[in-house]
Amino acid sequence: MPSSTALRQQIETAFQHRYPSVLTPSPKTIREVIPTGITQIDELLNGGIPVGAITELTGPASSGRTSIAISALAQRTREGSVCAWIDAKDSFDPESAAAVGVSLNYLLWVRCSEKTATRSDRQRTNQTRDQQPWTRLDQALRATDLLLQSGGFSSIVLDLADESIEHGRRIPLATWFRYRQAANRTRCSLLVLGKAPFAQSSAAVVLECQRAAVDSVYSTVIRTFNYKAHRQRERFSHITSIDRKPPVSTWSAQTAWDDEKRA
Amino acid sequence: MSPHAKPASLYAAVHVAEFPAQSILRLRPDLQSSPTVILDGSPPQERVCALNSHARKRGVIPGLTRLEVEEVGNITILTRSAETETAARTVLLETLSQFSPRIEEVLADNACSFVLDIAGSERLFGSPDQIAHRLRETIVASGFRASISISSNFHTARIKSEFSRGISVIPYDRESTALASIPISALHLDLDHYETFALWGIGTLGELAALPEDEMIPRFGQPSRTWLALARGNADHTFHPLEEKFELKEHIEFETHIEQLDALLFIGANMIGNLVARASCRALSLSSIRIEMLLERSLLYKRLIQPAIPSDDRKFLLKLLQLELAAHPPQAAVVSLTLTADAGRQSKIQLGLFAPQAPEPSRLDVTLARLKAMVGPDRVGSPALLDSHCPGRFQMQDFSVINQHPQSQQVTTPRTSLRRIRPPHTLSLQTHDGKPKAFRDGPSRFEISIAYGPWQSSGCWWDVDRWDLEEWDVMATTTNGESISCLLIHDHLNGKWLLDAYYD
Repeated sequence: MPSSTALRQQIETAFQHRYPSVLTPSPKTIREVIPTGITQIDELLNGGIPVGAITELTGPASSGRTSIAISALAQRTREGSVCAWIDAKDSFDPESAAAVGVSLNYLLWVRCSEKTATRSDRQRTNQTRDQQPWTRLDQALRATDLLLQSGGFSSIVLDLADESIEHGRRIPLATWFRYRQAANRTRCSLLVLGKAPFAQSSAAVVLECQRAAVDSVYSTVIRTFNYKAHRQRERFSHITSIDRKPPVSTWSAQTAWDDEKRA
Repeated sequence: MSPHAKPASLYAAVHVAEFPAQSILRLRPDLQSSPTVILDGSPPQERVCALNSHARKRGVIPGLTRLEVEEVGNITILTRSAETETAARTVLLETLSQFSPRIEEVLADNACSFVLDIAGSERLFGSPDQIAHRLRETIVASGFRASISISSNFHTARIKSEFSRGISVIPYDRESTALASIPISALHLDLDHYETFALWGIGTLGELAALPEDEMIPRFGQPSRTWLALARGNADHTFHPLEEKFELKEHIEFETHIEQLDALLFIGANMIGNLVARASCRALSLSSIRIEMLLERSLLYKRLIQPAIPSDDRKFLLKLLQLELAAHPPQAAVVSLTLTADAGRQSKIQLGLFAPQAPEPSRLDVTLARLKAMVGPDRVGSPALLDSHCPGRFQMQDFSVINQHPQSQQVTTPRTSLRRIRPPHTLSLQTHDGKPKAFRDGPSRFEISIAYGPWQSSGCWWDVDRWDLEEWDVMATTTNGESISCLLIHDHLNGKWLLDAYYD
């Protein structure tokens, strides 16, 4: 009677043309993750957003992308880690961030603007040759590059949530590849907010956010915003035959005034 | 003490000749190998007051006019700068203070001369010969060329350094021999006395020292006793040490006004190097550098560089200077440049093994300077909420990772966040029964399905910053089915409806 090892080898040999190592479990790599502070999202992402990788939060306006990102930053800054918010359209709200629990003195906020220095700031004589100003998107990409390369930031949010999909997709793949390498090297979680996925294969996780409904109190004041999240892509998760549809989760975010009232 | 015993006093005299030229050329290495003269006086009566050896070889002598110098040809002509000389004198003094805290300044025409009391420093710096060589090395590193003389007699050291080149170490009891060949002009006598000595055939200090003192006093009076003592190298002196305030300052004036930043940085690199070297001598770093420039049309330019921690890294400080100048370029050509630094303790950040990662302070400074140059200085930093009920009030603070502590409270439940629209979009809005019904934002038209409000907010009615707002939380849908939750504002002061923020 053949032993179990011999039997396994026999089966693997028979199937090796179609499924290599069909009975040998693939080695499992434990990736470091940081929780977002939203239980449902953390469960959906198998613990949180990955460290040293790009995570994309996509979706239309009012779909909860910003709330997830700010909640993740709140977790990081509370433990004394330094984070950055690169704001392509200057839409970050410090009041909301402070209400969620972000320690603002640990947060570097880069507010991109139209009225700024010229591309070449090396020589005044070159100004006539290179007078084109940085666009907001250019500034955001350059600032992300600088912060990723300088290191020391545990999380960086690249906020392209208000950029049009056409502009976002024009960002070269080489840029995202460079970000991925730099984030991996400096152990930085890069969160990209956008209307659609822009980083493509460089993104480790893509979470598509959708708006579900709003709860109110006696139809007079908003109480909670309900959101839905689909995990579209996760580079480090194991492929199982059960995951035929992308995992979905619903979560809700309370309004600041409702939370204060309950307290 | 026996008359031949070694005395307790020991002096080192440092004489920097052609000081107006050296003070400028030390900051202009590009001109050090070319003939250069310094003119003093007001045009058109400017005359050469100092020159370098290359110019001397070309036949230029002090006292020539500008026209005469220009006739010689291929000679760089610079203008004398009192501020540059003052800064250079301070630098020289700082350099010498590494060897002795007791320094006396000696008045000298067209030169800068100091005498150091180095008695007892042999155990620190070695023999007098070694001290002299180390002095010369340090002075050369500061950008000066000086003659150095060491003697147990103050005046002997001073006179010898003025009338000789290089290093002279005069042994005790050999002072008169060392001074013998020096002309009697070293004594700064009256013209009548020079004529008398010339008639007698006395031209050097050695010849003067040989004259009998008893015969001299009836003819020249009591001052002749001092002359003889000086010539014989045994004149007494009461030492008056300087008490200078420690100031890190470098100044330079340009003969041709500088327009390009690269040229300015080339000079600035030297100046920063000097400041760092002087601070390092006292185990200090630079905590801030003030940049002051005089521009054409008498414009003033002032900026401040302040690294997160005091630094003595020359390249790092130069990078900050470059980024600061690139972010705020001078609006006219630069006439003069002054760098004044504040000294700080040399400090390092102690990182913990289990502490969360944080950017390296000096590297972060450069990154922040680059970001400020790109997006604007007031658009990079940490937000700080203002103590106001007016929505959206905050101010930007400088971002720093040093001595920060988390300020936030633990929030257990997720909260929704706003995305502000800066500046708020003005809307054309339709109302029904006092409630918003539909609005148009640019090309998009939104139908409002739910509107909660109004929430009234007003304040600062006594001030120009007063506000009187009515807020509405609305759920709106466009014609193509896109729905948003947003915050509308009715500004009562201006009578406008504004789209202020999205809930996201």
